Order: sequence, then C-alpha cells, then structure tokens
Amino acid sequence: MEIPTSAVNEEARQRAEDSAISALVDRYAGALYRVAYSVLRNPSDAEDAVQEAFLRVLRHRHGLGEVRDHRVWLIRIVWNIVLDRKRRAKTRPETDDVAELVRVLPSKGLSAEALASAAQHHARVLGCVEQLPAKEREVLLLSAFEELTSVEIAAVLDISESSVRSRLFRARNLMAGLLDHERT
Amino acid sequence: MSSNPHNPMNADSAEETLRLIASLPAPAGLEDRVHKALRAAPRGGRVLAWPAGFRARTVMQNHWMRAAAAAAIVFVVVGGGWGVYSRVQPGPAGKVIVMPPRAPDSGGFGGAGAIRAPQTLPGPQVREQGTQPVKQPAAAKKKIGSAQPAASQAAPQPAVSR
Repeated sequence: MEIPTSAVNEEARQRAEDSAISALVDRYAGALYRVAYSVLRNPSDAEDAVQEAFLRVLRHRHGLGEVRDHRVWLIRIVWNIVLDRKRRAKTRPETDDVAELVRVLPSKGLSAEALASAAQHHARVLGCVEQLPAKEREVLLLSAFEELTSVEIAAVLDISESSVRSRLFRARNLMAGLLDHERT
Repeated sequence: MSSNPHNPMNADSAEETLRLIASLPAPAGLEDRVHKALRAAPRGGRVLAWPAGFRARTVMQNHWMRAAAAAAIVFVVVGGGWGVYSRVQPGPAGKVIVMPPRAPDSGGFGGAGAIRAPQTLPGPQVREQGTQPVKQPAAAKKKIGSAQPAASQAAPQPAVSR
C-alpha cells in the first residue's frame, strides 16, 4: 500500500496509485457495500454509493499515502455519501422495505409464512430505527458492524469514543421504548 | 431515559435485525464493476494540472513559480482597483437653495419648524400685575405750566469771577 512519494517518474507513480486503489477495491468493496446497504436498503443504490466512494478515492489518489487507516477512511467516505443520498431521496413506502427484506434475508429452513413474519418484524424494527434521532441512529447502525470498534465508529463519525458510548446507550433505550410502544 | 423500564429483549432483537442486515453478503461481481467504473472514469483532477515540463522541476522551483504567480495576481487586482479609484471623479454637488438664517423670534407665535415664515410685527407687551411700571422718558414727566422752564435747568452755570 506504500506509494513512493518521491517518485520522479510520473508513470511509475501513477501505476503505484492504480494498484493501490485496485487493492482497496478488492479488499473493502464488500464492507463498504454492507455499510451503504444498511442505510439505503436498496442494492443498486448501495452499489452506486460504493462506486462513487472509489471514484472519490481516485480523485484524491495523491493523498493515499498519508491515510493511516484505509478501512476507516473508506467507510467514512461511503458513510457521508449514503447520508447525503438518504437526505436527498424521497421516503419510500414501508411496504417496499418489507418486500425488499423478504427478498434479501436468508430464508434457509423457514416456511414462507415464517419468512414473511420475520420480514415484517425486521421492517417494524427498521421503522423504529428511522424514528430515532439522527445522532443515535447513526451510532446504532454502525455498531451493528462487528468489524467496527467503538474507536473506529468514533473516527468515522468524527466524535469522541465516550460520545459513541453515550449515544449508543441512549439509542438502545429509545429503541426499547419504541418497540414496547409498537407492541402495545 | 436512563432509568429504562423497557424490556431489554426488544433492544436486543432490534440489534439482531441490524446485525443481520449488516452481514448481508455483497452482490457477486461488485469488485469487477467497481474496477470497470474506475477504468472508465476520467483520470484528470478537477483543477488543471501543471504541464509535464513543469511537474518535473524541483520543489523549490515550483515554490518560486507559485510565489511569482501569486504576486502577479495581487499586482493585477491591486492595479485594477487603483485604476478604477483614480478614474472616478466626484460628481457635481446637488442643487441646494441656501436659506438665510432666521433671526430668533422675540415673541408671538412659534415657527413650528416652518422653512419660510413671514416677518410679523412685534405684539403688544402685556404687563403683569405687581411689577414696576415702565419708566417713562423724562420729557413725559414735565409738568405743564411750571415756573422754571426745563431748558433753564439744563442751562450751564455762569462763570464765577475771581
């Protein structure tokens, strides 16, 4: 991943940057897709967001050598892209979410009825997540990724680690209340 | 919210849903499509790059050229501003009718801020009760038919001979 910053030969430098970006794509495209999908919940939108993230990387390829943690850096880029897209996109009806979840969630060993019931439960949960305040919702969504520690979530959101913990605590309490309210 | 009486199982199930979504596999061929998009993307940046001949120069030369370019920009901006400033002439003064200063009124009605007020005669002076009457001139005190004429009082004394 090292890019020779003092390379005199421009072509060699460009080749090094290209190979570095290719390596980033092979290694992190899947993770970026899952981050994007968790917010957008639409496969093609999520893939577009991943492509846009790597196009941004291509535009700023000269600064690749200065990036310490490429994974967190890339997740931060795609996170900003998906939040921006989500803000601009019109709200979709909830039924679309349910249908989409039925299609993408693992259905191994489940009857059609159980699958539909599970999808409805997930859709209800996601509806409650949408009702959370933005700060708490963002932390809760990122905390679902097992590969992200609280320090990395703090780096993605550009906040302190203690803020991540307090927001996560509030988000969990709010979610429990919302789900209780839904049930009653 | 910190004293939450809610069932913690709800929050757990919610996180389970989010974890399930977060662990969904990426679609097949995603990396290839991204590679393809990157290859099709224009390589140039958003700003114009230095020509190849300039890029090969040393860092110090680039700094010198940047400083020269910045100085040229400052010179053009300041020169243009000075040119505009030096060409702009102050416009003619507007037509203003200069009014003579009005003497303060000795009495009567006030002007009420009027621009033009006609000259009015001084009104009669009202004497208040208990005040001294206005002194009349000496000629008015003269008694009609007195023995010595007033003119003789004012006559000079005859000179005394030694």
